Amino acid sequence: MKQQPGVCTFCGTGCGHFMQVTGTAVERVFPSQNHPVSKGRLCVRGWNIHELLNTAQTINRPLIKKNGQFADASYEEAIALLVDTLKALPPAAVGFLASPRSTNEEQFLLMKLARAVFKTNNVSLSSDAGHRGCLNILSRGTGMAGMTGSLEEICKAEFLLVAGSDITKQNPIVGSEIHLAAQAGAKIVTIDSRRTQIAKLSNSFLQITPGALKLAVAGIAKCVVQDGLIDSDFVRSSTKGFEEFSASLTQLSEQEITAKTGISIEEFKQVAKALSQAKTAMAFFSSGISGLDEDTISYIFNLFAMTGKIGKEGCGVNPITGINNLQGGYDMGCAPDLLSGFQSLSDQAAVKKFNAAWGVELNITPGRSVSELLAESPGQLKALVVIDHDEGLIRDAAALQKVDFIAYISTYKNKFMDYAHMVLPVARYIAEDGTFTNTDRRVQLSPKKLEPQHNVLPGWKLFSRIAEKAGAKWSYAGPAEVMDEIARLTPTYAKLSHKKLAATFGGVQWPCDEKNPDGTRRLDIKAAGSSISFAKVSGAFAGPAAGKDFPYLLMIGKAQDFWHQNNLMRKTFIPMREYNATLLDYPEGYVEIGPDTAKALQVRNQWQVKVVSPYGEMLLAVKISDDVKSHAAYVPYFARDIIAKALTGHPEILKQGEDATIPIRIEKV
Amino acid sequence: MNNGTKIVTIPETATIEDIKDEIRDVKTFYMSLDNKELDKNFKIKSGQFIMCTIFGAGEFAVSLPPSPENDRFHLTVRKVGSVTNALHELKAGDKVGIRGPFGNGFPFEEIKGKNIIYVAGGIGLIPLRSSIVHVLQHKKEFGRVLVLHGARTPDDLMYKENLKEWQSFPGFETYITVDVGTPGWTGEVGFVHTLFDKANLPVENTVAFVCGPPVMFNTVIGELLKRGLRDDCIISTLERHMKCGVGKCQHCAIGRTLVCTDGPVYTFRQIKTLGEQI
Amino acid sequence: MYLIKKNDILQIAKALSTEYQVYGPVIEPGSGQTFFEKVDDVSEINLSAPIPAAPPKHIVFPQADRILSYRYAGGNAPVEMKPDFKETPKALFGLRSCDLTGLQCLDRFFLGQEFVDEVYRSLRKKMFIVTNTCVAPFKYCFCVCTDSGPAAEEGYDLNLTDIGDNFLIEAGSAKGKALCEKLQLAKAADKDLAEKNRLVDKSITLFESFSTESKAWVSRVMNRITTGFAKEEVWEYVGDQCFECGACSFVCPSCSCFNVVDTATGDCSCDRLRTWDSCSYEGYSRMAGGHNPRKPVEDRRNKRFFCKLSYSQSKKYLRPGCVGCGRCDWVCPGDIGMPNVVKYIRRETTSRDQL
Repeated sequence: MKQQPGVCTFCGTGCGHFMQVTGTAVERVFPSQNHPVSKGRLCVRGWNIHELLNTAQTINRPLIKKNGQFADASYEEAIALLVDTLKALPPAAVGFLASPRSTNEEQFLLMKLARAVFKTNNVSLSSDAGHRGCLNILSRGTGMAGMTGSLEEICKAEFLLVAGSDITKQNPIVGSEIHLAAQAGAKIVTIDSRRTQIAKLSNSFLQITPGALKLAVAGIAKCVVQDGLIDSDFVRSSTKGFEEFSASLTQLSEQEITAKTGISIEEFKQVAKALSQAKTAMAFFSSGISGLDEDTISYIFNLFAMTGKIGKEGCGVNPITGINNLQGGYDMGCAPDLLSGFQSLSDQAAVKKFNAAWGVELNITPGRSVSELLAESPGQLKALVVIDHDEGLIRDAAALQKVDFIAYISTYKNKFMDYAHMVLPVARYIAEDGTFTNTDRRVQLSPKKLEPQHNVLPGWKLFSRIAEKAGAKWSYAGPAEVMDEIARLTPTYAKLSHKKLAATFGGVQWPCDEKNPDGTRRLDIKAAGSSISFAKVSGAFAGPAAGKDFPYLLMIGKAQDFWHQNNLMRKTFIPMREYNATLLDYPEGYVEIGPDTAKALQVRNQWQVKVVSPYGEMLLAVKISDDVKSHAAYVPYFARDIIAKALTGHPEILKQGEDATIPIRIEKV
Repeated sequence: MNNGTKIVTIPETATIEDIKDEIRDVKTFYMSLDNKELDKNFKIKSGQFIMCTIFGAGEFAVSLPPSPENDRFHLTVRKVGSVTNALHELKAGDKVGIRGPFGNGFPFEEIKGKNIIYVAGGIGLIPLRSSIVHVLQHKKEFGRVLVLHGARTPDDLMYKENLKEWQSFPGFETYITVDVGTPGWTGEVGFVHTLFDKANLPVENTVAFVCGPPVMFNTVIGELLKRGLRDDCIISTLERHMKCGVGKCQHCAIGRTLVCTDGPVYTFRQIKTLGEQI
Repeated sequence: MYLIKKNDILQIAKALSTEYQVYGPVIEPGSGQTFFEKVDDVSEINLSAPIPAAPPKHIVFPQADRILSYRYAGGNAPVEMKPDFKETPKALFGLRSCDLTGLQCLDRFFLGQEFVDEVYRSLRKKMFIVTNTCVAPFKYCFCVCTDSGPAAEEGYDLNLTDIGDNFLIEAGSAKGKALCEKLQLAKAADKDLAEKNRLVDKSITLFESFSTESKAWVSRVMNRITTGFAKEEVWEYVGDQCFECGACSFVCPSCSCFNVVDTATGDCSCDRLRTWDSCSYEGYSRMAGGHNPRKPVEDRRNKRFFCKLSYSQSKKYLRPGCVGCGRCDWVCPGDIGMPNVVKYIRRETTSRDQL
């Protein structure tokens, strides 16, 4: 049997596929027909993953910068340099940036390297503003730091809410499941300021003013309460904190809601009614760097809590991670204040357990996230170890140049290397066993399919060697043993093992423990005997508003034309062609406006316009789209740097997710 | 690897001998096939194209401007994508790969004795050049010959020496216009179809060759039809993204036709029935 | 016509394995998915496996295929070119009739038309084809609507039909007959052929409702598409649902569009690859310089079905491009496989006729 099962490692859906491998190359990739989530489907990225895996643009040997140029080095040399540099610094001056693409085993070992070997808690992913916030809400609300529902149950949901996510482009197969549910009779409601594909496929599309997503959700919640549509039995028996939330909603006036969202109360009432009357319902939103902020997610959570749509079959509040192992990264404790399984550093019993297993005395003072450390001035960060990052981090280019020592560890070449003082390669994910945790807590094993090229070490082995050089004794025989240790120390992963995962087609969803030895498909309130806590909300809906001088709201970060900065896409042929098309037409970026706006300004496609905000101005090319409402404008991610430079004074906004807006005016040039 | 004298799948190498700058972003590359036997027998027809490999970058389709009889083999190429950009970096002595020639050619037999109108927009003059030169060398076989060339600005006019030659050649009526004039330009200003009245276009027993950017197509053909030319007397050469050039990859499909094997030369009557918009 | 005991059927594959690399249906144990695979041991072949998830076209038209490698260091250095046309004798054992029809479409396309494609020819040469009659359809099948099954009628060397205790073997070529004679197979009788015909007739009655309800509609839709009478609204509706993944082209037995790229492999060397491409992608028809004649997704959907079903395309295959295998139905994220598109055109046509 030449076809070897595996997992796609682009987005957080975790589709199943088969690969046919020969020697060092992947000959074919084909979808897994019976996979519980992907069911035989793949997207343009997944169908062409072999193009990425066969690229010659890999880092093939360690590199050390000498006189401004990279020179080949041996592993001994490079690891010695890394260890000596880090050991010579106080732990607070060292940071580790984990990658949402690494395997669970690699992320766990990186976390262990940082904490147990280099004694620092400055370990983080770069998604603290995004997915971490979401996990905080879910953890506080349900006790489970992960999606409450399951992708396998989308077909059982009668009502599906898609909040601000261009889901058919970000996680196409999840979008497909939602669409197929609608074909079978479910109702889809999309709330977004842009008419995305899922909006076109929805029964009801609320095209809101940019920046008003939170208010729209609050508006629906208000209608639910006002029209007596809460699930009183559920609220009474299974939740806490409803009163406070309900009170906060009364502060909202219908006029404010309508004025700021651009949607009538009647439309919100209809959505409220449909949601309440449906027996089962799910909410979807993007979670990650380009996802929603904590407050917005809190409103969504509370809306579903009070309509009784959490913790039952066919229900759930479902963040969709855009990168394959973002969920796994947090599960493995790649955060300044967390150990694996969302165990806090302040949890004495947990810390004791780790101390005993690792033979160390962990520092329990939470560290700082790498983005925080880089933003600090003057910075105390002297050395930074970065695992596999797309270039998004280069928006912090100025800050990076102030760090004395940067080590970059990855499989593929990327511009980030320009900032590094040394580079260490890791083997492609198919060259070693490894597990990934997708967005619905599904841990899947990707078995090894071929040998690493150029004698490049797999991640777990590289981290073990670094630890050994630093004096620690790690004796893992392979990634399976790493998973065994993860299981011993992580309650939600307690009964997982490579053996179990190899024998379970479609992976196992955590918690997988004594009580749930075969995993947990979804949060089940009844079975768990647990309750839901309503999330605290700010009640604040202040946001930049359009006005006379600045009549348009500019939204930053429309992601799909430039998927995660395209580093991986650029190493393929077909996906690069597809993702590059817009880039080739608009190499300097564009501002996307609706046809009404274009007419009012008397501009056509590709004409230059000046975009002016209260803080600065910039020149961009026009791109006219039918999907954009009047008074809204969008710029893609790759124009972020241009924006940051031109429209300074908005560092807070730039840190926000997709809902961030800046009021602007547009002038013909 | 060869099908008669056509090089089908594996490229033959050719060496660049001279490079000439034409207008902005456009260069002409004079070359000859390294296989001297093949080079001697390499017969091209006006209107055909070849697939040119730039080693290390890729392959692209390029129409053949040389007149089949006399001209030195050359390619005139604008740099517009990754492969053509790589071509423009090459120097004399560098090698490229050639496959072809492919495609049908201009129907010279059928147009003997007729009046010929050439309407060329911008670098659309490149594929038409081979035909114009051929007609110039066999002027007696044809009636009135008109060359109408329009470009964005005076700097974008192609083949300026040829244009001068054609302007003074007896029996050739040559008109030139630009969309936007620049200081010092004393010629016509306006899109190319604005020349039609001034040129007093013949209609009876006439054939028109049209080549240019997609935007000019519909306007020019519309004007010609309005003046009474028949749709099977308007001939154009179509361009499409091509990967194989031999009718297999299907990137160049328009409705029921493949531009690389059925075309690239089509009459407007054929274009109308293709089943898809061009 | 010959007979062989059911339990002995793989002996034919065994005999073929001495001369050919054998491919056959194999069920992957972990997932239950059927593949049409190269087998080192013919006992891996499972003739009662369902229709393979992927059509066998990858055997003659690989997903990523190096056709040439070259090395050129610039200037007057020589260009070293090495074509890479692979030629191996292959036996396809247990091909379903729809997939054979797809292979015939590819043959007529790659080996006919203006030029013979040498890459395809070398992969396709020296092939022994053994088809397997479908005595029952699978969930998504509709070959009865596209005249491509459930039993192969020509183009095979041997055709197998499971008629109970035995397999009926019809020789469709001299090669096939020679093998049967060599193996000294028992001759079949008229009653065996009658049993096969009975089973095929029964098989036809077992197809799912789409096939029976829409049988005439597939050809009617072909007419509509050819004459351009399928309205724009249908294509917009279909286009809205397209996820632009390319899957329909990749799983279609008769789709053959490919991309050609030169990829650097180091040391001034490059490989020229031929890879699967799909007209559903926006970049498929995009020209350097930006002009894209098929930019809106509904135009691309229109193009696909025109290509599959219009009469002019049929000329190049000598039959409709669709073979009724049903793969585009389950692989599509947007639910716009061939059967559904036929349904939409039918719905739009009949509602219009009612006006």
